[in-house]
Amino acid sequence: MLKNYIKIAWRNLTKNKSYTIINIGGLALGMAVALIIGLWIQDELSHDDYFEKKDEIAQVMQSQTFNNLTGTGPAIPRPLEMAFRESYMDNFKHLAMSSWTNSQYLKYKDNSISRDGNFIQKDAPEMLDLKILSGEKDGLRELNSIMLAEKTAQALFGSEDPIGKVIKVNSQYDMMVTAVYEDIPFNTSFYDAHFLMPWEKYVTTQEWVNNAEDQWGNNSFQMFVQIAENTSMEKITAAIKDVKKNLNEDTEEFNPQLFLLPMKDWYLRSKFENGKRVGGRIKYVWLFGIIGAFVLLLACINFMNLSTARSEKRAKEVGIRKSIGSQRKQLINQFLSESFLVVLFAFTIAVFVVLLSLNGFNELARKEIEFPWSNLSFWLMSLVFILLTALLAGSYPALYLSSFRPVDVLKGTFKAGKHAGTPRKILVVFQFTVSVAFIIGTVIVMQQINHAKNRPIGYDRAGLVQIPTFSQDFSGKYDLIRSEFLGSGAAIEMSTSSSPTTRIWSNRSGFIWDGKPEGFQEDLAWTAVSTEYAKSLNLKIVAGRDFSREFASDSNAVLLNETAVKYMGIIDPVGKFIKDDSDEDPEEPLKIIGVVQDMIAQSPYEPVKQGMYVFDKYENASYYNLRLNPKQSAQQNIAIIERVFKEHFPNIPFQYDFVDEQYGKKFAAEERIGRLSGIFTALAILISCLGLFGLTSFVAEQRTKEIGVRKVLGASVFNVWNMLSKDFLKLVVVSCFIAVPIAYYVMNGWLQEYPYRVILEWWIFALAMIGAMLVTVVTVSFQAIRAAKTNPVKSLRTE
Amino acid sequence: MLLQLNNIFKWVNSGGQRIFLLKDISLTVEEGEFISVMGPSGSGKSTLLNVIGMLDGFDEGEYHFLDESVHSIKEKHRANLYKEYIGFVFQSYHLLDELTVKENLEMPLLYKKFKGSERKAMVADMLDRFNIVGKKDLFPAQLSGGQQQLVGIARALISNPKLILADEPTGNLNSAQGEEIMGLFKQLNDEGVTIIQVTHSEKNASHGSRIINLLDGRMI
Repeated sequence: MLKNYIKIAWRNLTKNKSYTIINIGGLALGMAVALIIGLWIQDELSHDDYFEKKDEIAQVMQSQTFNNLTGTGPAIPRPLEMAFRESYMDNFKHLAMSSWTNSQYLKYKDNSISRDGNFIQKDAPEMLDLKILSGEKDGLRELNSIMLAEKTAQALFGSEDPIGKVIKVNSQYDMMVTAVYEDIPFNTSFYDAHFLMPWEKYVTTQEWVNNAEDQWGNNSFQMFVQIAENTSMEKITAAIKDVKKNLNEDTEEFNPQLFLLPMKDWYLRSKFENGKRVGGRIKYVWLFGIIGAFVLLLACINFMNLSTARSEKRAKEVGIRKSIGSQRKQLINQFLSESFLVVLFAFTIAVFVVLLSLNGFNELARKEIEFPWSNLSFWLMSLVFILLTALLAGSYPALYLSSFRPVDVLKGTFKAGKHAGTPRKILVVFQFTVSVAFIIGTVIVMQQINHAKNRPIGYDRAGLVQIPTFSQDFSGKYDLIRSEFLGSGAAIEMSTSSSPTTRIWSNRSGFIWDGKPEGFQEDLAWTAVSTEYAKSLNLKIVAGRDFSREFASDSNAVLLNETAVKYMGIIDPVGKFIKDDSDEDPEEPLKIIGVVQDMIAQSPYEPVKQGMYVFDKYENASYYNLRLNPKQSAQQNIAIIERVFKEHFPNIPFQYDFVDEQYGKKFAAEERIGRLSGIFTALAILISCLGLFGLTSFVAEQRTKEIGVRKVLGASVFNVWNMLSKDFLKLVVVSCFIAVPIAYYVMNGWLQEYPYRVILEWWIFALAMIGAMLVTVVTVSFQAIRAAKTNPVKSLRTE
Repeated sequence: MLLQLNNIFKWVNSGGQRIFLLKDISLTVEEGEFISVMGPSGSGKSTLLNVIGMLDGFDEGEYHFLDESVHSIKEKHRANLYKEYIGFVFQSYHLLDELTVKENLEMPLLYKKFKGSERKAMVADMLDRFNIVGKKDLFPAQLSGGQQQLVGIARALISNPKLILADEPTGNLNSAQGEEIMGLFKQLNDEGVTIIQVTHSEKNASHGSRIINLLDGRMI
């Protein structure tokens, strides 16, 4: 019987080629979108699955409250380690302090590379269950040991065996390779840990880290734990919550709250707002999940609509089958197996489409998704997916078609009733509602990105290059290097800074100044810069003066940004002083010499943060900022800079970033969403139009006789076109009016997350509506005009 | 007795008025009869045939088929009864366009869940009997009207029904083809198959053993 069903289905498909192409093509597109989104969601949900103890690992987080605003982050103070180790260790199986993931220079013989990695305590390899390829798992025991990821080891040693070899780090100290571990995959939180070095090395080589041992206010470190077997994250959180707060009066300030953030939540649910967890990336998992489901649904609707539209053609078959003994159940089975066949076909094509587009998608979504050929559960899921889609797409036609009474359809007088087309109309309205809502959503996302991109950022980012200077090699050489670079003609100005131009790495509090309100808990962005910082960035001085080499006293000078002046409430700031609130502080007070224009260093969607730029008298710079010579091409400039750089720092790989590119990365997440939703919107519209196209052709066919009669009676091509198009256009207009409020509500909610946001204007909605109507008219016209041009003699003769 | 209709009424309501399609039909059909139903257009011939064939229901009266009371049994049971004992032949043949002659013949057997080997044998037998072996792989559109109707009758016969219902089986055929079909019916009837046909033609009716005349839904 099944064979027979399939045979009939096959013959039906090959007989109506255009119908088949529309149906299978549309469905394949929809399924490809659903598949890709499915793979993406799977990748998102399996983030950190690489770590076998994922469920037991957590990071210690801290919430602090400044001026009634609570900020939450993973940064914790160093002495917390000892507090935990002394009194709370029965909660934890492992505990590991860690630095942030930072770039370091690694050198073996003449081969020097720069890689990201962590200083971390020795429990980490065991806790993360790193797959050791050679060497020992307990490789961080010795102070001068380093563990390398496979690719990093290869880059350094080539085919040599790295174990036991000594490499030089930052031209500063020698480390012996104790282990090589498998590269940690991209979809994990430690993907950029290309090496691990002992935490103790960090402490002994970095004075500020060493000093932080008992500084409860210095939140500059991370702590990872694996919890003990007989307890839970919640229990531990309850126990450790107030460890810091209850310590003494000083630490009580800002109400520090400690808690564990389980590894399974790091990636998807780690956004905090005012001390409360508010989700995170999981939002996008939902968003794209919904988009995928909708696109698939649109394709299924096409299938339903086209199948039922063809019902009059299949009606006779149903009648005959019933009259020779078929039960309704058997007919339902037949139509469902037909739908299954179509879906199976579409799935095969969809797999091809996915294979072809996966690379592009990975690039767009910044993923490393591979097609799960050998994953049994993927195929099982696919089978379920196919069956569900077949059921979804085929159940309505199956139930509808099988309900025909043989007496009616065989008499030849069968006409679908007056309301037979109603469900079809509802489905079309649904399709276009989704499409119009998608259009509006995409336009608004794009607009918001452009809005933020066009925001004045306060400095000139074009032709600005930054070079990282983390190594000790750079200290004390600034003036020399500066004159070399300027002398080479590649740069017209140069400065240093302790944070990159596009970031704020340090925030400070604990200042006093004249007129500081009682109890005011300030939080200021802190950047240490060299004299020419403002000049090299083209940052405007709005009051007072810039740093100058002519005033030796400028070593204790500070520039505030405009927001800081307002924030601190200083009237006429130039010439006033800012002091550290601790009396023991040996530093002299900072003298405000000028006010600079606000520049965006953080999110382009947020207001600029209050910040101070202090003179970097210790030369602790992290970056060189070079204003390239505009009279030469960027390549020429970079080539010269590289040559000069190599002369002075032969041991350090030359690295540089264009600041405008770095700034552009701030839009990456939104641009990704924008581009992806743009593509999915286009596909959704395409699928809806395919369906509409198919539907019009059937309607035109159904009404052939009517059109013939009308033409005989004198209707023009325009009249007929008008008659056929109007029906569909009406549906799309209805869709628009449903879609607009929904889209407005959703997008307005989305925009609320951005303090600096575009205003929703009516023309966006109007544009989307006009666009949808235009697309409808074009789609429908293809068929309508053809039907209208048919010679009536022909269409009437067939009766 | 094969079937018995007692005081069958069938009506539709239109604009507050009750229009009778069948009015007080009582009819007994014995096994082996060859009945022709005649009457002008709209007299209810086809409706009667559909009621007898259980494709259509009725509003009042009783219908006994063999030992079953058709008016009181469930839909599924009725379908089984129908599948088992009744074969239909239509004026416009109603073959499945997407299936070949062989497959069209096989279709009722599939619905009756015959095994593959049995189906093959029965289809081969039927092709042989109707002399259409050479046409078995053609599609209906490739056959003449007479040939299509031959296939239609073969399909109705293949599951060995007790009763064949034919709704103007020769209506779309020329006279020679019509004669051939009538001859075939006569021959089947001689072999013991009960036949009820609707026809306009006196000549066709004359092949039968009994004629029922209808006018405005009434037997006269």
